Amino acid sequence: MIKAGTMLLEDIKRHAEREYPRECCGLLIGRIEDEGLTRVVFETYPVANSWEEGDTRHRRMLIRPQDYMDAERHFSKRGLGVVGNYHSHPDHPAVPSEFDLKNLAPWATMSYVVVSVMKGRAVELRSWELKADRSRFNEEEISKGS
Amino acid sequence: MAVTIIIPTALRQFAGGLSEIEVEAQTAGEALERLTTEHAELRRHLYTDENRLRNFVNVYVNDEDIRHSGGAGTPLKDGDSVMIVPSIAGGAATEDEVKAVELPSLSNDEIARYSRHLIMPEVGMEGQRRLKAASVLMIGTGGLGAPAGMYLAAAGVGRLGILDFDVVDESNLQRQIIHGTKDVGRPKIESARDRLHDINPHVQLDTYEERLTSENALRLFKEYDIVVDGTDNFPTRYLVNDACVLTGRPNVYGSIFRFEGQASVFWAERGACYRCLYPEPPPPGLVPSCAEGGVLGVLPGIVGAIQASETIKLILGAEGSLVNRLLLFDAWRMRFRELKLRKDPACPVCGEHATIKELIDYEEFCGLRPPAQGVQSEERKLEEITAARLKERLDRGDDLQVIDVREPNEYEIARLPGTKLIPLGQVTSRMSEIDPARETVVHCKGGVRSARAIAALTEAGFTGKLVNLKGGIAAWSDEVDPSVPKY
Repeated sequence: MIKAGTMLLEDIKRHAEREYPRECCGLLIGRIEDEGLTRVVFETYPVANSWEEGDTRHRRMLIRPQDYMDAERHFSKRGLGVVGNYHSHPDHPAVPSEFDLKNLAPWATMSYVVVSVMKGRAVELRSWELKADRSRFNEEEISKGS
Repeated sequence: MAVTIIIPTALRQFAGGLSEIEVEAQTAGEALERLTTEHAELRRHLYTDENRLRNFVNVYVNDEDIRHSGGAGTPLKDGDSVMIVPSIAGGAATEDEVKAVELPSLSNDEIARYSRHLIMPEVGMEGQRRLKAASVLMIGTGGLGAPAGMYLAAAGVGRLGILDFDVVDESNLQRQIIHGTKDVGRPKIESARDRLHDINPHVQLDTYEERLTSENALRLFKEYDIVVDGTDNFPTRYLVNDACVLTGRPNVYGSIFRFEGQASVFWAERGACYRCLYPEPPPPGLVPSCAEGGVLGVLPGIVGAIQASETIKLILGAEGSLVNRLLLFDAWRMRFRELKLRKDPACPVCGEHATIKELIDYEEFCGLRPPAQGVQSEERKLEEITAARLKERLDRGDDLQVIDVREPNEYEIARLPGTKLIPLGQVTSRMSEIDPARETVVHCKGGVRSARAIAALTEAGFTGKLVNLKGGIAAWSDEVDPSVPKY
């Protein structure tokens, strides 16, 4: 399960709309609780889409390890770290793709938030977690409490 | 050398919750080796089964990617920090890919329950998860809906919609095995829901206690992948067909009468629809309903089970479905036959120049209701009498002759006193047996056939006074004499 306040989820949607028709991406900063079962998000950390292969940033995104490292370092002082990531699917559903499964997904302990942006409007936000055997994503509950 | 390995937040639960771990190592590769020896659970998150660092795992030594400094052999100094960082790439998918990842997983309970499916490669985990992801709307929980619903629930279809407005009647139990004796008088959807839930509590059941109409059909059908037609009348059958064509849903069709059944899959995107086969409904009254003509109780069990089987095959993507094939079954002779169907290019609803773009008035289409602005017909008004009034008049000694137009086997079940039996099919040829000088009351089981008999007699030139017993012998049983059995 992922816990994230409504404001944070709105921030992600706005980011996705700003980047449309390109994909946006970012990291979710927080703490992992309940022995790994719950990811509590305190901040979002938008990063630049570093995908450079041709002009396919409308359907591909890349978060550089450098950005990931910066985020981990920066938030470690507050006892927080990277607990997930988000990216948008311009004019596609908020469901991870086969490409996401092969490339997006480092670890099963993270949350993978996908925002669907249709014609410039963020219409849906869903969160997914990777199955331990890395075979697929399962949707996870988004708790908007606090 | 003593170096510090910085553990990413996401992996700390596999490293005893620590954010940093000190190890002694000469090279970056050795440091990771030590780490994953000490915390074995970390290993599968960093290495593939072939013991290679996963392609998204990056290792930095003091802010330098080891790919640029000698890889695993990168030398370490005292106090160096080694950091594990993933790179993350993503992107939108094609529609097919989306379907592949959206399938729900199965719990251990479900795996145990569906084991006989799972061990067949044609179903397997993938197919069972497809079944779980699927939604099926069943129109009617009667003779066909009963077995179809029970097998679909048992098979693990994730969401079943059941629509019925009827109440369980004693006369349903001979074939509608989803309902039991204790359910007589209950709404059918309630008793069906209880039975289906008992068969498989993993299935989500959505119930609709309403009639299917041109107003609600499209909205309902859009919420489901497949529609199973278990209706018993022509207006609803055309409505189901048209709504399926307009929403692109496959229509798993079945129908039954006496000892004969039919089944097919009407799916306009792939083949013929019901209208390609039957462009026009039969004239009202030509084809009797099961209530009038009867039905072998086990027949809907067979046809409904075929519908369930076809539905499951559609979900699994199996070949050999009944698309473009009409299966005919005769239980009396125990014979299956098959007709090839072809999509009609001139079909008004699924053809190249379809004229039906929205749902119409199906009662009117099937001739069961005069067109709204129709001519006030000159047709003679049918004279009717209630059972209670007939009893009064008989008791008073009025000179009435009562003609029963049912079949002899029905006459054996129940009859009114002092009646003469002339089955509907013989009523005009045996007209001379009816005295036109006396007033004649005509009755059947429910009042429909007797009205038709009166029309036929009038047409044939019968001059005497004819009165229809409203509600037939069933009304007599209700209003006058409960000892007359209802059937």
